[in-house]
Amino acid sequence: MKLFAGCLMLVGLAALDPPYDPAPHLAVIAKTGLQGEGSAAAKVARDELAKHGVEVLPQLLVAMDTSNAVAANWYRTIYEEIVARELARDGTKWPVEFFKEYISDAKRVGRPRRLVLGLLDKLEPAFREKWLPTRLDDAEFRYEAVGLALAAGDRALKDKDQSAAKTEFRKAFESARDSTQVTQAAAKLKSLGESADAVQHLGLVTEWWLVGPFDAPQKTGFAKVFEPEGKVDLQAKYLGKDGAEIVWKRHHETDTLGQLDLNKQLGTTREAVGYAYSEFDVAREQAAQVRCGADDNCSVWLNGEKVFGRDQWLNGTRFDRFVTPIQLKAGRNTLLIKVCQGPQHKDPEVPNNWSLQLRLCDEQGRGIEFKPVLP
Amino acid sequence: MSSKLISVFVVLLSFLAFQSGREAFAENWPGWRGPNRNGVTSDTGLPTTWSPTENVLWKMPLPGIGTSNPVVWDNKVFVTASEGRDQGELHVICFDRDTGRERWHQRLWGTAPTLFYGRSGMASPTPVTDGKRLFAFFGTGDVFCFDLDGGLLWQRAIAEEYGPFENRFAAASSPLLFEDKLIVQCDHYGASYVIALDQQTGANRWKSDRPEVWLSWSSPQLVPSGDRVELVLSGSEKLDGYDPRTGSRLWTLRGLARECVPTPVLGLGMLFVVSGPNGMHIAIKPGGSGDITDSHVVWKNDKGTSFVPSAILVGERYYLADDKGIGSCLDAHTGKLIWKKRFGDKFTASPVAADGKLFFTNEAGSTLVLDATQPDYQEVSRNDIGEEVHASPAISQGKFFVRTAKNLVCVGKR
Repeated sequence: MKLFAGCLMLVGLAALDPPYDPAPHLAVIAKTGLQGEGSAAAKVARDELAKHGVEVLPQLLVAMDTSNAVAANWYRTIYEEIVARELARDGTKWPVEFFKEYISDAKRVGRPRRLVLGLLDKLEPAFREKWLPTRLDDAEFRYEAVGLALAAGDRALKDKDQSAAKTEFRKAFESARDSTQVTQAAAKLKSLGESADAVQHLGLVTEWWLVGPFDAPQKTGFAKVFEPEGKVDLQAKYLGKDGAEIVWKRHHETDTLGQLDLNKQLGTTREAVGYAYSEFDVAREQAAQVRCGADDNCSVWLNGEKVFGRDQWLNGTRFDRFVTPIQLKAGRNTLLIKVCQGPQHKDPEVPNNWSLQLRLCDEQGRGIEFKPVLP
Repeated sequence: MSSKLISVFVVLLSFLAFQSGREAFAENWPGWRGPNRNGVTSDTGLPTTWSPTENVLWKMPLPGIGTSNPVVWDNKVFVTASEGRDQGELHVICFDRDTGRERWHQRLWGTAPTLFYGRSGMASPTPVTDGKRLFAFFGTGDVFCFDLDGGLLWQRAIAEEYGPFENRFAAASSPLLFEDKLIVQCDHYGASYVIALDQQTGANRWKSDRPEVWLSWSSPQLVPSGDRVELVLSGSEKLDGYDPRTGSRLWTLRGLARECVPTPVLGLGMLFVVSGPNGMHIAIKPGGSGDITDSHVVWKNDKGTSFVPSAILVGERYYLADDKGIGSCLDAHTGKLIWKKRFGDKFTASPVAADGKLFFTNEAGSTLVLDATQPDYQEVSRNDIGEEVHASPAISQGKFFVRTAKNLVCVGKR
């Protein structure tokens, strides 16, 4: 009888046990960070969390929405372990509606959302096809959604439905942020008689005044200050390389992605510096980004203030190589860019490029609206 | 049991333990370029002929891409890979050495993916193990430490702590283990450095900035020199020697090419350096301090250098296959050419050697086997694995582990 009472008590106590709360263990992992700090405690917490089932996934996924790269990976190891175990057995009640809500929240970090989409592919194979085309304004899934719109446009063209093709290509063009997709969509629209300005869409600066080459032996150009850095005077004459007189010249760049070849515009040279200057109006004060690439390197002044400079050589001009946040003022803004050209590489086959590419855009890479106002 | 019998038993156990420890070291392939970090192993019993079907013991598909070489410890084979549009999805996979069965597979996110080479993604650096832990470094600027059962022990997102790598082909340097430290060379267009992490915790033991260098993909090397050990880093027109215990720079040798990929090779009391595209082979004496350019060079040879493959030293011969498929053999003491042959096709993988043979695997997946015991060029066989190969093979316990473009293939005598 005593034994029976004891058993009843144990059953009662078990029934009173609160459900597992993953929050304290998740909080331990959230503290991991620099220098491997918190790893030992994180491992203990991780191992405990991984013992549980799909019921911890919603809280785990919320925790995975973090900018802490180290914590995110600790969480991911738990997620992968639970998901693999549950997929291998029958009868798991997956929180599918939570998953759909989670991946549709574009404000959350993209990577765990993508992970969950991969799981939904297994749980509801038809879901992706319906859902993905709706993600044109979603930074994480935009690239795929634009790709689907481009493909839909191509299919419409095959079916000789020009109107549908134009709609799809326009949708792709407006939503695209990737330069290849932007130029692809623009080309498709143009081939159908539609207007689409990829340069404007990406915010590429193509209107310039140029001057150079200034003499800068070896790799002294980055640090050496030439007159335009003190004052931009488009009427001025300067002493250039080899004693030549150099003056500003107006240039409109026609390259599809605004890449300016300074060898072509200022003359093939080595161990030199060139400057590019532009002015433009914006309607309102706004935060933006200047994204640039240059060969060999560039420095950027916005409204007379240096906002970027990187002392590197043999870089290659690559799209969006450097990204710098800037603040534009309402009305007139000025841009001065210094582009250095280093010595010829000892291998004469290495091309001696001297070039610049620069654009003004928002955080997502969409060009800001600006009006070039150069004389 | 008599005490005498117990004693004999204990001695026997100790001997077996010693043998097993010794053999485990000799027969494992614990990191980049094997047990001695030079491509050479004491392993024996390797096949000299194979084909897509002959002597293939098992073959397992790999996710994504990568050119890190497989790492083998006892009955486990470790491989890294990356995939995704930005190659930020990272994989660390452990296979069973004998069957190819996947023992565990960790999927992780890379902190800061960079531009990358289409065949290697973020998985160029080869992981390294001490038999207790596995350390994996990726081009995303992440270092992960696992126990050999796949449990994550720590992670360092060094790209987040010290700035994202700027690299047009993604970082490729394979870390090494020294005492209780993991040493990682981080040369890139941005702020370059070499860093030593505590193997147990991942915390910094030291970090030495390298402001004067830029992009390179070479891996560090350890060089015993007198009563000290030197950590040698190749890249950016020079070679630097550091104290691996403190990270302080000991010496510099100028005169290398711009961007270095091959790993320096040690032997015969010299260090052999391949110096980047259109550069030269340089043999130097380790040791010294300050600028050793004029004091420590034994010989230089500017013919037949490679951009990507490392060289290999077997006996007194120094062998190399360049990227275009030209093989050469130099006298390691003088740098003089002994023979030069067209091996055929291009090379990315570095050669390996065992059992008196040299194995050169080209990008088409064909392995040229040479007899390293003969004074002249002597071809043993050419074996096609039927797939492209860009990763250097591993040798362990009588088997080759070849990472092809799509698979991990185990080649051994049937």
